[in-house]
Amino acid sequence: MPATEQAKALSDTVGDFTQEAFDAHLAALEAAPGWWVDRKKAAYARFASLPMPVRTDEKWRFSTLSGLGLAGFAPGLEGGTAAGRALDVPAAATLVFNNGALASATSTGLPEGVIAVPLSEALVHHADLLREHFMAQPQRLGSGKFAALHEAFLRDGAFIHVPRGVQVERPIVVVHGASGAGAAVFPHTLVVAGENSRVTVVDEFVSTDEGRQLACGANDLYAGHGASITYVAAQCWSSEALSFQFNSTVVRRDARVQSLNLHLGARQARHESLSQLQAPGGLSEMLAVTVANGSHEYDQRTLQVHQAPNTKSDLLYKNALLDKARTIFSGLIIVDPDAQKTDAYQSNRNLMLSDDAESNSLPGLEIQANDVRCTHGATSARIDPEQEFYLRSRGIPPDKANELLIFGFFEEVLNRLGDEALHDALRGLIRRRLETRRG
Amino acid sequence: MPDDIQTLETVENPVSGIDQSSGNFKYDVTYDFDAGTGLSERTVDYISGVKKEEKWLYDFRQNALKTFFSKPLPTHWASRDLENINFDKIRYYLSQGTKPKRTWDEVPADIKKTFERLGIPEQERKFLAGVEAQFDSEAAYSNIKDAVAKQGVIFVNSTEGLREHPDLFRRFFGKVIPTGDNKFSALNSAVFSGGSFIYVPPGVKVSHPLQAYFRINAENFGQFERTLIICDEGSEVTYMEGCTAPKFSTATLHSAVVELVALKGAKIQYITVQNWSPNVFNLVTKRGLAHEEAEIKWIDCNIGSRLTMKYPGVVLKGRKARGEVISIALANDGQHQDTGAKMVHAADETTSTVVSKSISVGQGRATYRGVVHIPRHLKGCKNNTECDALLINTNSRTDTYPAITVRGDRHAVQHEASVSKVSAEQIFYMQQRGLTEGQAMSLSVNGFINDLARQFPMEYSVELKRLIDLEMEGSVG
Amino acid sequence: MPSLDIKNLHVSTDGREIVRGVSLTINSGEVHAIMGPNGTGKSTMAKAIAGHPDYAITEGDVLVDGKSIIGMEPDERAREGIFLAFQYPSEIPGVSIANFLRAAIQARMAEGEEIDASGYYKRLYQKMDLLKIDRTFTSRALNDGFSGGEKKRTEILQMAMLEPRFALMDETDSGLDIDALRIVSDGVNQLRGPNLGILLITHYQRLLSYIVPDHVHVMIDGRIVKSGDKSLALELESRGYDWVKQEFANA
Repeated sequence: MPATEQAKALSDTVGDFTQEAFDAHLAALEAAPGWWVDRKKAAYARFASLPMPVRTDEKWRFSTLSGLGLAGFAPGLEGGTAAGRALDVPAAATLVFNNGALASATSTGLPEGVIAVPLSEALVHHADLLREHFMAQPQRLGSGKFAALHEAFLRDGAFIHVPRGVQVERPIVVVHGASGAGAAVFPHTLVVAGENSRVTVVDEFVSTDEGRQLACGANDLYAGHGASITYVAAQCWSSEALSFQFNSTVVRRDARVQSLNLHLGARQARHESLSQLQAPGGLSEMLAVTVANGSHEYDQRTLQVHQAPNTKSDLLYKNALLDKARTIFSGLIIVDPDAQKTDAYQSNRNLMLSDDAESNSLPGLEIQANDVRCTHGATSARIDPEQEFYLRSRGIPPDKANELLIFGFFEEVLNRLGDEALHDALRGLIRRRLETRRG
Repeated sequence: MPDDIQTLETVENPVSGIDQSSGNFKYDVTYDFDAGTGLSERTVDYISGVKKEEKWLYDFRQNALKTFFSKPLPTHWASRDLENINFDKIRYYLSQGTKPKRTWDEVPADIKKTFERLGIPEQERKFLAGVEAQFDSEAAYSNIKDAVAKQGVIFVNSTEGLREHPDLFRRFFGKVIPTGDNKFSALNSAVFSGGSFIYVPPGVKVSHPLQAYFRINAENFGQFERTLIICDEGSEVTYMEGCTAPKFSTATLHSAVVELVALKGAKIQYITVQNWSPNVFNLVTKRGLAHEEAEIKWIDCNIGSRLTMKYPGVVLKGRKARGEVISIALANDGQHQDTGAKMVHAADETTSTVVSKSISVGQGRATYRGVVHIPRHLKGCKNNTECDALLINTNSRTDTYPAITVRGDRHAVQHEASVSKVSAEQIFYMQQRGLTEGQAMSLSVNGFINDLARQFPMEYSVELKRLIDLEMEGSVG
Repeated sequence: MPSLDIKNLHVSTDGREIVRGVSLTINSGEVHAIMGPNGTGKSTMAKAIAGHPDYAITEGDVLVDGKSIIGMEPDERAREGIFLAFQYPSEIPGVSIANFLRAAIQARMAEGEEIDASGYYKRLYQKMDLLKIDRTFTSRALNDGFSGGEKKRTEILQMAMLEPRFALMDETDSGLDIDALRIVSDGVNQLRGPNLGILLITHYQRLLSYIVPDHVHVMIDGRIVKSGDKSLALELESRGYDWVKQEFANA
């Protein structure tokens, strides 16, 4: 192969995330333990060797592959403007990262023993927990390459550990900021909830300017025996950003995890969410609300794996599509052999608000046990004209009537949140988003 | 079995239907034409030569063969079991000649015995408007009732269709399913033989069904029939096909292509009850084109075979066209029924419905795959899809993989799927009333598909019930 | 005196003419009842006046206080004072009654003017008590999973809160048991007064024993064929509609 072609092939595979860029990244990580550096090296090798997704990859069916190019990005630099909060909720602790570096950490009454620190600190003091849980689950949804990129270039992130029996009442908030044109960020949040503990964690993804950026983030949620995790992510990246987000949820015996992802930002966003129900009594509730506008693409891939009997999963993803937006929902419920008494639900609802919008739904089931309750459904429909007429016959103008109906559509999801302040804050964020759009 | 049950069955089964339940038998037959084993350009030369085909068709076949060789197996989404088909060990053409007989008396005795045992001549007398009986590569018998023929209805096999109605045939042939649609449509296009050619003139409503029967008799054989049905404006027809093969230890291939064209206001109903033996790879492409206000309905019952891959589709090309797929699949031990439906909406106010019910028994696997496609700038399109799976044994398997694309805000699309099992309570209740567990299971399974089976002509629903009863024997315990 | 004037109204749906020349004037303070067999165009007329997009006014006019409303959007007509109490109110999941009513009231206020939240809730609770609607209903989604009676009471609650000038009540009695009918009728009677004109659409006389009308009209085949006072309703109850049809045919 001629040198120029070779260079192009390499650029297509790794973009600007070259070996030199990786070496520079490693050099900047002072005091990282050897095992961590080794992991990152292995991750980089994986990233560089894996091909970009191609048309025949079933896990990328319907995705716009041309938008995934990794050229033109560089790990964000320190010293940019620190990100502000997207959600106004009282927090028990707040960690703010800007371009992957810790900008501030405040705590206002975390219960005894609860750890909410940067990963860089956890590497030193909580290495065992980190080794056990950090990206420990398989990448089953198609983004092995990008998850490896995340692991290789990840600089810092949040580590949250709630010890056995401890309940944290107010949410722990993590703000991941990206600033500067071309900035690449690799946000990470790791939550380990010990036996019978309870915690709410909020991830906020915020761009401080409207440039082209790459966000390649991950979160690991581990709910131990009887634990309860509520996880909320508000994705408000710049409208020019390319975003990847990988979630892995592990649910142990009698544990319960509720995660809600609100997608508002990014030009193209891929979200992969894996829930593994590993022991009886476990419940994973997977929720998402997406406002898709402009010519943005939201690509959501989910997997609910029932590995043990008597487990439950409940997925509800709602998309409102405006303008020329595209959404892809591809969900799969897997019931392993012998996972009897599984109760699994999966629902994707698309509200079509424009003649140019496009929704794609691929709701899937793979069931290998017979005593189960598994259902899924997908709908794509416009606003019900009778509902609209009803509202308007009460004197409500068309814009307002539409807005009420869009909120009504989302309410079924937002309602599931027990925390009213969080619920209201998310509604506020959606409202601002719709208002900005209307101008 | 208690007496009262027998009585019940006799009452429920007033017609002796086509009997596919005993397809596992074989008579030795000598073939006058044999393309040999394996696939090459020479195979295509041979088939085209036997049929004395025109140049355009010969070229069509040879091009299709190139396409077949160039396309990979679709294992990036489909079962890897496809890799177990050895295309070099299959016989692609076997016949006793290309001219079917018009009376059963003329059909050679060795072949006639087979169809008599399957009950075809009797059925023809009772309720059919016409019958075509294909034995391996060619139709052995083909006849249409005079009254129907007098209305201008053409019902012949594809070899005759090409010979006697070349212009009509060529106008529609390969237009609904292009050669390169998939690897197996390409294979069929290269080596096709047999299948039905039907034309119904404008306004003619064929009151009784036309029946085709496809019998594979030879071992290591591939059957590649090609069916083309054209319903002219405002006409109506019901076509039914049945399929069986004896049980062999080696793999047999059945790869048909079926194209339907319903012109303005026409109605086509296409019913399949397949009971292939468990060594058959059944890889069939079926699609219909519905013009304005036309209606195409596929009723597809898949029982038997080793692997069936079949997704009947409708391209809704004209305003207010309607498409419907009713799919029933039963996957027993060692079987994979990979079935579904494809609905492509290409005009305003088109509606489509898919109802799929599958039953997985033992280690059987039933898969539903669906495509619903509603492109931009259409209005008032509707699709409703329902998939229900019944799992009989603890480790039976079912999968559902729909793909739904909707563009624009003027459509309504809904997909729902559920999974259930036969409840132990239900079985116990029936056992307490004196049924065996197998009978109870059979009743439950028939109950599960009852609302769909009721839509068939009675002869076929009776046959389906009998096939299910047979499959459910020994499924429990 | 303010009035709702229906002038030679013709309404078509799906290309079929259902209302075929109705003229009727309802003055503020009056209660009119329109009675008639099913399918004679009573509900069609009400929906057309409210501006339902499926119903086209092909001829004639509807005036509120001398101003034609038939070129207006449905919400503009509502703000002109038209209220349609639906026979089958839409279920609107996710939109709470409180939020919905706030939006409807806000829409009636001038630009920049804000609703007074405490006054709003005080008034809302007072009306709810009157209609025996549990206060927790404010946070329930509008009509979502409501019983027939709950839906009809919620319609009257909206009417009470939005203070229309003319209310078109479409088969408000349908689906109500006797207790619910009494509550709904009491609610309507409370709202009766010099500033409200009411058009009751009903098939049966029973509603009219609770809400006593000033005028009764009989509608058959898209036309008003007979008008009278409340005694006409009683006569219809005892004699049925056939004699009116006959009388009309003979005329």
